[in-house]
Amino acid sequence: MGVNETLGAVITAHPQARVVAFADLSASMILASQGRDDITQEHLDRLCLQARASFDDPLFSLSVEAFGEPHGAVVMGADGIRVFLRSESEPADALCCICDHGIDLAAFVAKIRVTLESITSGG
Amino acid sequence: MNRGTLPIISRLQSLQAPAHVAPGGARIIAAASDPNPLAALLREVNETMLGRALTFESRIGTNLTLEVSGRRVLRLTAASGLAGAESCLSEPALEDAHKDDLIKLLQALAVPNQELRVTTTPIDREREGVSVGLPVALLADLLLVDLNPLAATEFTALEAMPTTAPSPKVAPEARLFAVPDPPPVAVRPPATAPVAPEAATYKTASADFLGRFARGTGPVLMAWLITGGDEDGTTEGPDEMVSHLQGFLDDEAEAVSHQLDQISTAPDGPICIVLGATLVEGHSVLCARSGEGVLLGVIEGDGTQTLMQAWSAAFA
Repeated sequence: MGVNETLGAVITAHPQARVVAFADLSASMILASQGRDDITQEHLDRLCLQARASFDDPLFSLSVEAFGEPHGAVVMGADGIRVFLRSESEPADALCCICDHGIDLAAFVAKIRVTLESITSGG
Repeated sequence: MNRGTLPIISRLQSLQAPAHVAPGGARIIAAASDPNPLAALLREVNETMLGRALTFESRIGTNLTLEVSGRRVLRLTAASGLAGAESCLSEPALEDAHKDDLIKLLQALAVPNQELRVTTTPIDREREGVSVGLPVALLADLLLVDLNPLAATEFTALEAMPTTAPSPKVAPEARLFAVPDPPPVAVRPPATAPVAPEAATYKTASADFLGRFARGTGPVLMAWLITGGDEDGTTEGPDEMVSHLQGFLDDEAEAVSHQLDQISTAPDGPICIVLGATLVEGHSVLCARSGEGVLLGVIEGDGTQTLMQAWSAAFA
């Protein structure tokens, strides 16, 4: 299964996920994405920057000092949530997602963790 | 010049540069006088976004073909005159374990002061999607090659300028980015910034929004405090933890606000980030802002569902 199909499977399993994108955070670049048709490259670029900012200081440092290196981030706004998960084996690889508030977040995080490691390992 | 514009300027200069074509149609990317053809090779990969097979050939006839897409080297499909290529050639997808072997091949091919040419052909779209490959940024990092030729000169002056970015407090190896720092993002996203395709129903928050959110989250939010706004000084949880959180905010309030600006899609709307190793077990850090108030707390265990419920309920 290719990367796009793998991302598409996440949308199929969790319809409340509007966008699921695979990013190289080191290059600030979305490499593949699936989801709503009206998402533009500008949306994806901004999503990727938000992912990078989420894993940056000062909150990154606070987390490292207190509990260890963070690999997941949930950002809640007034109009939706974004979930960013980066690979434990390849920290620059990440999934960036936009979801509805009603999503089963625990199940979604578990799903995208498996998906991310599958993509990162080339499986 | 803004640091973020350097890659763009580099691309524009590259596009403007006249192409030198060798007999047979190959493009010359490094002349015989070029002391670093390896940099030219990596920049060629860096500028290749769509799936392409790049065949690099030296003046003496050694060559290799890389399948490249999205600034990543997907695989090595051919090599001639280069010892040690077998380990990479046999791999359907190049991974981190192959980077050293690939680097040796690239160094053997792109010898200083030797002309280097490239020919480009499309690859099958199916092949384009089956591999993640090796990021060219990683290879460039290991080979000490600057992918943006402007950077070497322009950054010298830029780096000397004062920056408002917070200083990392953790060892560099613990940080995510062993690669260039994130490009600067406007403190407040401009009104014209693209907005994520999220629900159009924008909600406003009341003055006691943060307190309602924190209390609604329940016991998983084991310690928290609010600074600024109408609820300034509100705390809950063990004194020692609250004190630690207070000390952090005392030192980093401006930097926290800047980070929240960067992740926010609605400049004046409430925003919350939860940062954790797994998000569903262990501990996570929670930070939220509404108006002038900032909430900082510690989550223990899986707070995913109660957090979302409390967040939505706090708007009511």
